[in-house]
Amino acid sequence: MAGKPKVAICWLGGCGGCDEAVVDINEAILRVVEAVDIVLWPVALDFKYDHVERMEDGAIALSVINGNVRNADQEEMAKLLRHKSQLVLAFGACACFGGTPGLANLRTKKDIFDWVYRDAPTVVNPEKNYPLVKVSSNGTVLTLPEFYEQVYPLNQIIDVDYYLPGCPPPPDLIVNAFTAVLEGKLPPRGSTLAPHKALCDTCERNKTKPNRIAIRDVKRIHEVEAQTNTCFLAQGILCMGPATRTGCGETCININIPCRGCFGPVEGVKDAGAKYISALASIIDAEDEKDVRQFVDKLNDEVGYLYRFSVPSSILRKRRTGEAEEL
Amino acid sequence: MKHYEPKLVCFSCKFGWGYLADEEEMRTRIKNWVPIICSGKIDAIHILEAFKQGADGVLILGCPEGDCHYQDGNFEARKKVLLLKKVLEAYGIEKERLRIELSMDPEGRTIPDIVKQMSDALAKLGPVRKVKERARAMTTARR
Repeated sequence: MAGKPKVAICWLGGCGGCDEAVVDINEAILRVVEAVDIVLWPVALDFKYDHVERMEDGAIALSVINGNVRNADQEEMAKLLRHKSQLVLAFGACACFGGTPGLANLRTKKDIFDWVYRDAPTVVNPEKNYPLVKVSSNGTVLTLPEFYEQVYPLNQIIDVDYYLPGCPPPPDLIVNAFTAVLEGKLPPRGSTLAPHKALCDTCERNKTKPNRIAIRDVKRIHEVEAQTNTCFLAQGILCMGPATRTGCGETCININIPCRGCFGPVEGVKDAGAKYISALASIIDAEDEKDVRQFVDKLNDEVGYLYRFSVPSSILRKRRTGEAEEL
Repeated sequence: MKHYEPKLVCFSCKFGWGYLADEEEMRTRIKNWVPIICSGKIDAIHILEAFKQGADGVLILGCPEGDCHYQDGNFEARKKVLLLKKVLEAYGIEKERLRIELSMDPEGRTIPDIVKQMSDALAKLGPVRKVKERARAMTTARR
């Protein structure tokens, strides 16, 4: 085992899909396992956190971290792996941008707790118990990680060396990333290990796009039977392709679902939602202000659609509530 | 209540607004004035950045409808503004903090008045509500 580079794979605030994506590289994983010494992978292997704590700083060659940071436990783990690792790869949309759980930044912690522990129709909680960080019971002190006021992408908590977006990242890019690390052929630190262009640049349906797209209203994918070979935007269905990085292999487009933006903004752009607003504005077919207002009014959950994976890394990051945090 | 002066950013198109005025003098009268070539040039990112940097409001002065030097840049700007208002509201920033006015005033005499009018409306709204970020999270672990 000695001499092989050490690799840690860890999940924070994620669904486990990213860990599964690592397994989904199929037989290529055998080559990876042959070449490296996995020292932590909670979802698959039985290593303990204190194994990692006992290592020297920088002992791990690469930490592949998926999921965002929403509580104290996740923050501690992210910081521990940062200290012990030479390289940290933010893996998947949650680690890179906050991901779908990041939509919770449009609510307060109080809203979330009230719903989850009090108001949701399936909740029975007559004693009004809410999770506490510390509680004493029969002389025993029990603790829980603190739930933060907001969701953080990994790079707002620790330094991140490389990014691999996607929900989850596709097998070919995962293999490329591992190979680049093992062969030492990495781009400059801070790079995203995916193509720089927008999805529309590689989308097959781009050819079917008319010279000028003009849409009068927006249809949602479940409301229509979308044509399988025509640009979604030309059909009046919002597709995040113009403002989203390509590299996913058009997996959603291929099953007739418009792009939802899991690869995040294209190279050099910080806020994909804002860029999409500029793109969308240019294709709204409206004669006057009244038409535009009608169009905008019909847009259901505009922020949820434009920032599905990226609220915590967007320019504004979080809803302004003015309420003090109880931290 | 202590006196509060809202921070307003005013973008104005050089084709319709204040092009005959002395720019230096105008700048002394209007804080955060950004004359640009065509209101359509303003990206949603510029507006969000203004709020991120602490603006309490953003005012865009474009040319009269149907009278854009580049055909319909001003109308494009209006579309962006209407789309952005919904985004701002979701982030807890009142939609009244973003305004677009399509008209013209080559001598720019009315610009300070329009700015003042919007500033007064913003003063009534008060400052943008704050995001209270944890100091601890902001000190990220370094290599």
